Amino acid sequence: MKIRIDHIAKIEGHASFTADIVRGDVRAAKIKIEEGARLFEGILKGRKDEELPEIVSRICGICPVVHNLTGFKAIENAYNLQLDESSVLLRKLMMLGQLINSHALHLFFFSLADFFGYKTDLQLINAYPESTHDAIKIRDVGNKLVEIIGGRSIHPVTPMLGGLRKVPDSEKLKEILNDLRNNLELAIKLGELFIKLRYPKFHRETSFVSLFNSDEYAIYDGLIKIAKTVMKPEQFLMMVKEFQGPDMVAKRTKFAAKTYMVGALARLHNNSDKLNPEAKKLLKKSGMEFPLYNPFYNILAQAIEVVHCFEESIKLLELLTTGKIELSEPKIISRTDEGTGAIEAPRGTLFYSVKLKDGTVEDVNIITPTAQNLANLEADLEEFEHMVGFENLNREQREDKIKMLIRAYDPCVTCSVH
Amino acid sequence: MKKESKKPVIAILSLTCCEGCQVAIFNLGERFLEFLTKVNIGDFRLAEELPDVKHYDIAIVEGTAITEEQKRRLKIVRNKSKILIALGACAILGGPQEIKDYRGNKNRLIRQIYPNIRGIDNPNVKSVKEMVKVDLEIPGCPINKNEFFSLMIKVLETGKIPEIEQKPVCEECPRKNKNCLLLSGKPCLGAVSLAGCGAPCPASNFPCDGCRGPRKGINLAAMKKALKIKVRLTDKEIEMLMERFGEKNEFLKASK
Repeated sequence: MKIRIDHIAKIEGHASFTADIVRGDVRAAKIKIEEGARLFEGILKGRKDEELPEIVSRICGICPVVHNLTGFKAIENAYNLQLDESSVLLRKLMMLGQLINSHALHLFFFSLADFFGYKTDLQLINAYPESTHDAIKIRDVGNKLVEIIGGRSIHPVTPMLGGLRKVPDSEKLKEILNDLRNNLELAIKLGELFIKLRYPKFHRETSFVSLFNSDEYAIYDGLIKIAKTVMKPEQFLMMVKEFQGPDMVAKRTKFAAKTYMVGALARLHNNSDKLNPEAKKLLKKSGMEFPLYNPFYNILAQAIEVVHCFEESIKLLELLTTGKIELSEPKIISRTDEGTGAIEAPRGTLFYSVKLKDGTVEDVNIITPTAQNLANLEADLEEFEHMVGFENLNREQREDKIKMLIRAYDPCVTCSVH
Repeated sequence: MKKESKKPVIAILSLTCCEGCQVAIFNLGERFLEFLTKVNIGDFRLAEELPDVKHYDIAIVEGTAITEEQKRRLKIVRNKSKILIALGACAILGGPQEIKDYRGNKNRLIRQIYPNIRGIDNPNVKSVKEMVKVDLEIPGCPINKNEFFSLMIKVLETGKIPEIEQKPVCEECPRKNKNCLLLSGKPCLGAVSLAGCGAPCPASNFPCDGCRGPRKGINLAAMKKALKIKVRLTDKEIEMLMERFGEKNEFLKASK
């Protein structure tokens, strides 16, 4: 039996899926990316260093903050710039806002309908009006947080080399702090809704990769953790191989010749002991225990992260709003070198490697979360006949479950073709 | 879901781009829900997976058609729509993906990125209006969601195509007549760029980079002169600045 799903809906960007099912065994599972090549890594060559983050922000409209900031981090790493504490705190808050709005979009508008068999969000909105308003409120708070600090929620403009261009309005910061406090309960409620859902039973062992920081739940900065090993992002990248099959406009990656998974589930797997209290309570209530090799739980992991991000934003804003925010601009001594930046994007670890000469971009390599997850997702799909109950499903139900798994990864196809 | 006949059928579609303009529509939040009550959703892939409908009253298209499949789809969409709205800088100007057409040999560029270029389309990037007839352009990278909402309400209520007022970003700029970025030596294109965004960039000390494209009747020569004298940019640097969202000649075309 040939399975072919054209234009998978409710993911960011366009992709289709093909596979053969031979005597119940899924074979040749392929995600075909249907986006035009934009050649970002090419168009940046010869441009000024500070243009890079502005332009790469346009790789993705759902997670522009992470592309922008990882671009800056890679250049700052090359120029050996140390940021002041306030700039780091403000950037971290932008990241948290980005995770909140991206996760809330994926959780409620892309993934939730799958659990009820709805084919359109309109059914979902009609059936769950209260949860809809909650999800929208949560997204609004995330967007507002990015907007207040970044100047704009999509394609932010305040970050600059070595820090931030502008101190955000202190009244607005207090306002968003209140919004976060007042809506933490909604985030927990959304989390509880996702705990109650029934996740398909599927198991395939893999390696989980994420940032790791001994002081906090790593999102903005840290080392790379894979299995029990911790290393610098540069070291990790040395062992990552990007490959491109025929007719593939999005590359895939492997680490030491094996597929691996990035994203919310990987982060929880590696760093759950560093979650904030309410998120930890929710995790306990969920009954998730690690290692948990079921990618469907990436959805629940995102719901738990939303709560963590609310708590973390409250914590950081309390710190920021007590004193006066002062931004400094570090002096750039040399604009010639190579650097790497890594960040936890909503969908997983995002890497930028740059090479600069006299402030001009000579080379740039971007490895997005989805490019890393694609090989792992395809490997999962090849084993998908082992999903509990798969053999009893008819063709349409099988296709629905396949789409549900693809959506559980929250792929950003647009990012993967950059 | 049963489709009511009275409300206009809307499609929100995406070609190659970052999809940020669709995200901006989602970001309308409660107003997005309000919008949904005024229309019938024909096709909106980010929110539903029902089969395509045969006819749209209004198709909203973001992005540029790069692959052959996207080009084919854009023509089909045009044929089955009464009104076609191009959304955002990619659809209107070509977007950053058009930069490749100006940076030397685009075929060499693609080989530097992909070891295997078979099956990857790499045409010269064209805006939507270069391919099909466009009835309304809503500019920006990303669009201003408030402007989008009010324009859409006008279209829905009157059935007519509203016009975007031709004025420079400077008129909306909080730095107008004080701390002008251009006068302080920053490469700000506010004077030649179309307003309607509310000038969030200069408000954040970030010079306008013209994501909404030029307004009509600009004095390009004066702008270039200012960039040379105040910002000390070379001709090549000015060219690179003005092509950031594609259509490097668009500024030239808009000039009187």
